[in-house]
Amino acid sequence: MAENLTRVYAMGNVEVRALAGVSLEVAKGEFVGIMGASGSGKSTLLHILGLLDRPTSGSVTIDGTDVLALSDHRRTLFRLNRLGYVFQDYALIGELTALENVYLTSLVRGASKDEYIERSADILRRVGLGDRMDHRQSELSGGEQQRVAIARALVNSPSILLADEPCANLDSQTSKSILDLFARLNEELDQTIVMVSHEDWHKEYFCRIVTLRDGLIGDMVECRKA
Amino acid sequence: MFSGIRVSAFLAWKSIQRGSRGTLALTIMIIALIFVNLVFLPSIISGVVVTFDTQSIDFDLGNLVIEPREGSQYIDGVDGLQKKVEQIPGITGTSPRITAGATYFYRGRNAASTLYGITPEDERSVTRIADYMTAGEFLSGGDTDAIIIGATLAGTEGVEEGGLPSLEGVGVGDSVDVAYPNGATRTYRVKGIFETQSFGVDTAAFVTTREMSRVLGLDNQASAILVKTAVNGREEEYKTEILSYGVQEDVLTFREKSGGFVEQAIQSFNIINAISTLVSLIIAIVVVFIVIFINTVNRRRQIGILKAIGIDQQIIINSYVLQVLFITAVGALVGIGLNAGVTTYLTAYPLVFPGGPVYPDVEASAILRSIGSLFGVSLVAGYIPAWRIAREDILTAIRG
Repeated sequence: MAENLTRVYAMGNVEVRALAGVSLEVAKGEFVGIMGASGSGKSTLLHILGLLDRPTSGSVTIDGTDVLALSDHRRTLFRLNRLGYVFQDYALIGELTALENVYLTSLVRGASKDEYIERSADILRRVGLGDRMDHRQSELSGGEQQRVAIARALVNSPSILLADEPCANLDSQTSKSILDLFARLNEELDQTIVMVSHEDWHKEYFCRIVTLRDGLIGDMVECRKA
Repeated sequence: MFSGIRVSAFLAWKSIQRGSRGTLALTIMIIALIFVNLVFLPSIISGVVVTFDTQSIDFDLGNLVIEPREGSQYIDGVDGLQKKVEQIPGITGTSPRITAGATYFYRGRNAASTLYGITPEDERSVTRIADYMTAGEFLSGGDTDAIIIGATLAGTEGVEEGGLPSLEGVGVGDSVDVAYPNGATRTYRVKGIFETQSFGVDTAAFVTTREMSRVLGLDNQASAILVKTAVNGREEEYKTEILSYGVQEDVLTFREKSGGFVEQAIQSFNIINAISTLVSLIIAIVVVFIVIFINTVNRRRQIGILKAIGIDQQIIINSYVLQVLFITAVGALVGIGLNAGVTTYLTAYPLVFPGGPVYPDVEASAILRSIGSLFGVSLVAGYIPAWRIAREDILTAIRG
């Protein structure tokens, strides 16, 4: 739950108000789309919800934890254990295979080898990459790389999966397959997803659409799910 | 904690395994060469010390030298003193020597150098000159008209020895005239020529004590008594022991006798070594710093992403530190291999110093010190750039 979030950047002598007081509640199992024009503050909101940035004012509570009160180390642990992040440009570690990219965070959590290999392989199979596990980033297509990134974000069963324009670098066919995957994960696993997008045709996948305008929520529409 | 190290090691190993092989090999090679540089010079300095000590003990001074007490030119009652010293446990031989400056004449050429009067059997119990005869034979107790000459003093026909005393071509069987400091002149047949490669010895000559005492009018007297001990390196203990037996003469270790020459040389070498070590370590710091700096700057975005997905920055920093440790460890191993090659070569073809051939003496402490200092500087040089990038704000790092 985000309450009255503001985020002001100083660019030289000019203050830029990226968020001007955004309040948002995301329920368990929702697939929320954050939309809006460029500069409307949607990525800033996602970064704050993902604990990658701090708001100038306001509060963020996830699973009952006031995450803004956490130390940097605790925030890192929170990201590791409770959040999954999918970036626009996949953000895989080039020196690791698909499987290694996925199990890296499980390794940090101290899981046993059998456990993390089995779980990571299972998720990769679930996202349709069962036969590409030992391939490195340079050997995978854009869509496959984004599927690996999604598998990595899901491996620790996060409370929220945050996706920052995950289809921005993909063609429409591949984008559709990624959105289908998100929708399937949302339905089958009851996975909460918050996704930033600026493509109108993505709307059909979201339970709720939050449209930002000049750092404020301009519109909020319930769509696919009740 | 343990899982953190496990992840750091995992990331480090994958980076080494799948990163640029060329950069890795070049960095390892630079570290290896720095290691060789750190070990080589101290090994030569140690070699010089070992050579000086060995040459001094084996050919020039023995382990200890008993000299006349102050104000006396000679030690009196040499036989009695010899017996007294030889009964001390651990003393394996004594050799009284009479020393005089002499001028040698041969076929119109002359050279001034030291002439020693020795008792051949006693001398064999202390020095190894008798084992280093390149021509002819060592002296015998009864010789009165024979002389043995060092290879440099004997010289080679037509070759000047660069300022060192040389008769330019004396051979075994030749006759040499010797002018003593008291004005007496004797003609001796050259019985043998020795070569120890210790220039102070190879420019000298030896006759028997019997002969020299007769010429100089001495009776049971000597300029010095060389003392050989069973074990090298414990000269100070033996010196105390000899003095405790009531010896009134001056007792000096071979190091003291050499008048601090070696200490001065070692000090000079150590200054050169310190400069060389400092430069080497600075190069190591710069190389490792640049490699890790470029590595982390190129992976700035990746570091940001790792932090974003929940990897603690210390794990990321440690992964770079472990890479540096790996590079340094392999570099040191390669360096040890290269150093072994250099040492083997220089053992087969030693450097020739005025004191004798110098073999590199690689001490374990020098290797450990070099490894320790390399690891120390590499850790610092690897940690700082990794820390600088890893502590950067996540979004700033991700945006590159």
